[in-house]
Amino acid sequence: MTRTDAVEATGRRYEIPYGSLVSGLGALVVALFVASLAIGYLPVDLWQGFGDALNGEWTAPALVLVELRVPRALLGTLVGFSLGLTGAAMQGLLRNPLAEPGIIGVSSTAALGAVVVFYFGLSGLFLLALPLGGVVGAMVATVLLYGLAGRGAGTMTLILAGVAINSFAGALTALALNLAPNPYAVSEIVYWLLGSLADRSLLSVWLVLPLMLIGWALILMSGPPLDALTLGEDTARSLGFNVGRLRLQLVAGTALSVGSAVAVTGSIGFVGLVVPHLLRPLVAQRPGRLLLVSGLGGAALMLAADISVRLLPVRPELKLGVVTAIIGAPFLFSLIYRLRAEE
Amino acid sequence: MQLLPAIGVIVVALSAAGLAPAAESVSKPHRIVSMNLCTDELVLRLADRRNISSVTWQARDRDNSNVADLARDVPINHGVAEEILPLNPDLVLAGIYTARAPVALLKRAGMRVVDTDVPRSFEDVRQQYREIAALLDEKERGEQIIAEMDSNLARLERDRPPVAPTAIVFHGDHYTYGRGSMIDVVMTRAGLENVAVRLGIGEFGQVPLEIMAMNPVDVLIIGSHRDGPALATELLRHPVLSRLSDHTRVVVIPNRLWNCGGPALVEAVERLMRVAKEVRGKVPNE
Repeated sequence: MTRTDAVEATGRRYEIPYGSLVSGLGALVVALFVASLAIGYLPVDLWQGFGDALNGEWTAPALVLVELRVPRALLGTLVGFSLGLTGAAMQGLLRNPLAEPGIIGVSSTAALGAVVVFYFGLSGLFLLALPLGGVVGAMVATVLLYGLAGRGAGTMTLILAGVAINSFAGALTALALNLAPNPYAVSEIVYWLLGSLADRSLLSVWLVLPLMLIGWALILMSGPPLDALTLGEDTARSLGFNVGRLRLQLVAGTALSVGSAVAVTGSIGFVGLVVPHLLRPLVAQRPGRLLLVSGLGGAALMLAADISVRLLPVRPELKLGVVTAIIGAPFLFSLIYRLRAEE
Repeated sequence: MQLLPAIGVIVVALSAAGLAPAAESVSKPHRIVSMNLCTDELVLRLADRRNISSVTWQARDRDNSNVADLARDVPINHGVAEEILPLNPDLVLAGIYTARAPVALLKRAGMRVVDTDVPRSFEDVRQQYREIAALLDEKERGEQIIAEMDSNLARLERDRPPVAPTAIVFHGDHYTYGRGSMIDVVMTRAGLENVAVRLGIGEFGQVPLEIMAMNPVDVLIIGSHRDGPALATELLRHPVLSRLSDHTRVVVIPNRLWNCGGPALVEAVERLMRVAKEVRGKVPNE
């Protein structure tokens, strides 16, 4: 039995009807979204807050609900969806199980782009300057990596390129923060390297939404050609898919989704690695079907991680990347271990 | 209101080996170096210009320093031992929170380094001015500054509104100041009730935005920031705070007025008292 057959067999064994999987994960996201609204630093009467907000009365519960908890839960959902989705997309595009925006350096270049725009006052120039800074940063890494991996680079090359990009972008981020005029900037490197959803406002939601939605659309539309690509580029071409356009679509979609996400929450690692891996067996290893479910799974993981940082008795609250790395890094290690065993 | 017992000003004076403290007229320092923004203010207010060798670069920054004019033509340092050693100072003033490595190095090099603490009450301020004035052999000028500050405080004391509106300070990165801080003393003097104390905040601590929103105050005191954007200061523009301002008066008190204990505290009390009187009318009487 070849490896592909074995994979197919395990895939089939765990496969869940696609419709039920999507609705199940959707329900999980909704439940965690509500939990995220309900959990915070203080018990707040959500019904009262909701009612007051509808009546336009800005009482304390209404303020907490509308200005703090709703943006936080919305951003958790949006950013988690973006990271899960792009993880699945990059793994499909690069045909590499370890591709993930954080590991291969897309998130850190996005953070660099956002840092330069934000701390040097460029975000005031026009409305979408901040997310676009992130997108440009993400685009640089995505194009670089694709140039490398498109020539059939192995897992090792990809990861090492990620190490190089991550340390370079990290160093330039530190440099930019050191040169920034505000004395607080230097200490905020933690935020950009580890990410957080604390104290965001609805403004951040509106800021990221347009570019992010375009990115999602580009990636979600590439499901069928991505499935065909598993049969090899030639076969995909013979089936009538434009492989060049597919690549462009995924690269642009990834840069738009990750870039705008990182611009408002900092880089949060491992979501795009863990989620697609857990869900892949459930969709019979089909990369096209993995996209939407990974997005939903990413949103669920992000919301759960963000609830946990508020429940844990650590103040000021932990950065989200701390939680996702505690889950994700051992996961990465076990993946590398398994890949090594297979070689 | 109960003031904490004056903690006093920690003064650790190290004499250069072999140089026992002599009579004051002999030991009047002529090459004074300050390594901290707060000691800059003390030195610039108390000592003659010709006796000051160097103050920190921050002393010239109008946004952070109350004595930028006095510092205009004084050479500056960045708190680095290499800059200070060649000046061969006969007195180095540092804050106890000034970077410890250069301070330790200067001490090892045999320099006379005096560490000063942060005042936490007006009594601390008086004591600090007296001690540093004595050290600089400028006792008279010290007493003059204290007397002026006290007469201003006494004048304001008579003006204090009887009902205290609630207030809280909210600085970058969620910082606020509670019991045991100079800022709390100033607020109380101005006739405000510091809600940070009720929230259990000690000398300083961080308050999440949710807690700010759930504990509406009459007066929200923020610092002034003109340094370009940072997440820590962007926080002060969060919509949850601007929505609060329907019920809450937002006041800007420049950090320089109460970062260091000195005569500038009077201006902080004065500004806040004006606000306290204005909002008092809206506070329901108990």
